[in-house]
Amino acid sequence: MASIRRVKGENLYIRYLILSCWGLFCLMPVLWFLSIGFRPRTEIITAQPIYFPTLSLDAWHMIWSDWPMAKYLRNSVAAIFGSVMIDLVLAIPAAYSLSRYEYRGREDIGFYILSTRMMAPAIVAIPIFFLFRNLGLLDTIWALMLVYAAINLSIVTWIIRSYMTDIPRELEDAARTDGAGDLRILWEIIIPAILPGIITAAVIAMIFVINEFLFTLLIASTPDAYTMSVALANFTGGSDGVIYNAIALVAFLAFVPVFLVVIAIQKHLSRGLTMGAVKG
Amino acid sequence: MHDSSLSDTRSAPATTAVTKTRFRRRSKWLRAWFPYLLVAPAVIYLLGITLYPGIYAIVQSFYAVKFGPWNPVGFNNYVKLWGDYQFWGALWNTLLMGTISLTLQCVLALTLAFHAYRDPWVRGWRIIFLVPMLFMPSAVAFIYKLMFLDARVFSDILIRFGLVDGNLAIQSSIWGSRALLILTDVWQWTPFLFIIFVAALQGQDEEIEEAARLDGATWAKIFWNISLPLMRPVIAVALVIRGIDITTMFANVFIVTKGGPAFGTETISYFIYRTGFKFFNFGYASAASVIMLVLTIIVAQVVVKRAFKSARG
Repeated sequence: MASIRRVKGENLYIRYLILSCWGLFCLMPVLWFLSIGFRPRTEIITAQPIYFPTLSLDAWHMIWSDWPMAKYLRNSVAAIFGSVMIDLVLAIPAAYSLSRYEYRGREDIGFYILSTRMMAPAIVAIPIFFLFRNLGLLDTIWALMLVYAAINLSIVTWIIRSYMTDIPRELEDAARTDGAGDLRILWEIIIPAILPGIITAAVIAMIFVINEFLFTLLIASTPDAYTMSVALANFTGGSDGVIYNAIALVAFLAFVPVFLVVIAIQKHLSRGLTMGAVKG
Repeated sequence: MHDSSLSDTRSAPATTAVTKTRFRRRSKWLRAWFPYLLVAPAVIYLLGITLYPGIYAIVQSFYAVKFGPWNPVGFNNYVKLWGDYQFWGALWNTLLMGTISLTLQCVLALTLAFHAYRDPWVRGWRIIFLVPMLFMPSAVAFIYKLMFLDARVFSDILIRFGLVDGNLAIQSSIWGSRALLILTDVWQWTPFLFIIFVAALQGQDEEIEEAARLDGATWAKIFWNISLPLMRPVIAVALVIRGIDITTMFANVFIVTKGGPAFGTETISYFIYRTGFKFFNFGYASAASVIMLVLTIIVAQVVVKRAFKSARG
């Protein structure tokens, strides 16, 4: 890909015009929102928008001193880590079963797992709310972990399954003739071979967990279990309205790590996002 | 793509397996049930989190549930739902905004992907375009709420260019609010489709394209007659996944419009949330959930199954 390749009749000016327009469209709101994070509250909602504000670190001090930001961050990290662990423990054997064995009902089971992804959170929200209330788990990160794990289990299983299907059978057959059992083959051969797939699945699951909103809103009713996503929606100063500069900073705090991780797995992203259906 | 990871593991396990030769005599029973045992924990977990709530919702939908005891009301909730214009409105809004948004995203993503996939800087474009997708949806909702409603940046820019005279009343216009929600969704999620489409286009066999080009086909013809038909299974899967997420849109509605004005932007998810957790009318909300559940199952069986089957070949 040394030179710019093009097809006959394609205008390069149009190509770059389209791409840079969209690039600007993507970045302008983000840059503007970043500027919101570093301006005093008085310059956010004004009669005329201020495009070149005075620099202020008010919001930065505010999120750490006025709100238990460290706690929200800890809740988010714990919920992400816990739910992804649950997912991997359940999904790896399931994916192995779905990709390596021939048995009755295999396709149906696979599709059932996939179909749980289609469930709108609002449909199960009320029963789940009552379930956790009866279990006394409302307002704890344990409840969040369990729900997040359930949301992502289908995705994680399907992504890992797709990577497992790609591994040539000969790789296992050699070990099998040497007498290794199925579980040992899974642990010693398959898992190391599909590590990029497992990481991809974990990252995609992580993104969805950070984004999850409705369940968190219902399950976490006090700051004890707030994650960043829902904490944002509660950054309202009562009569003062929404505290936008704090929201902007928190949004960027959550954005940076996700951005870095996603760049690291860029190559696998399209495959992960389609649950393995598109091999990019 | 996975060459490196494969070659690492090819040597290591073979040696360990040789040293510990063990013959495992598993009973026939275990051999037959082993694959089921492997998949069972995941399935049980998912049943717990889907089947249990499903049954719970069905049962609850036949009761009037406020805070106290459950009073059986038979099919009353469903009958009421049938005549509830807010419920039908929410269903209509979900479909309307979802369809417009999905169409826009698909066309935009295809256009962008087609112009980007052969570009030497495709990785750079991809990183730039990814940025909106990696913000939390609640944060994106606030960006747009501030930009269009609270700080009125959009109005201000239009005024500066002399396109309008005064501030736009987006908040009080149904179509203005709908357009705002659609724009928010398009901005954040077009990259999702873009990334998938670029990968699909890059994976296509260049020789077919080359042959068509030698025959004198223009790029537009190549795109319509060759690239696009080859991409159909991929487009189907991507649209199905995106379509599901659009129809469950909640955070944007919750933060930007609260379903207003005049319930014009209330989605079905927001309707269930409002009925259940704002008015504590749990039985009624459950009835709406059950109808959603039935619709979901139908769509999953008919559309989703087909899309994923064709993509996997």
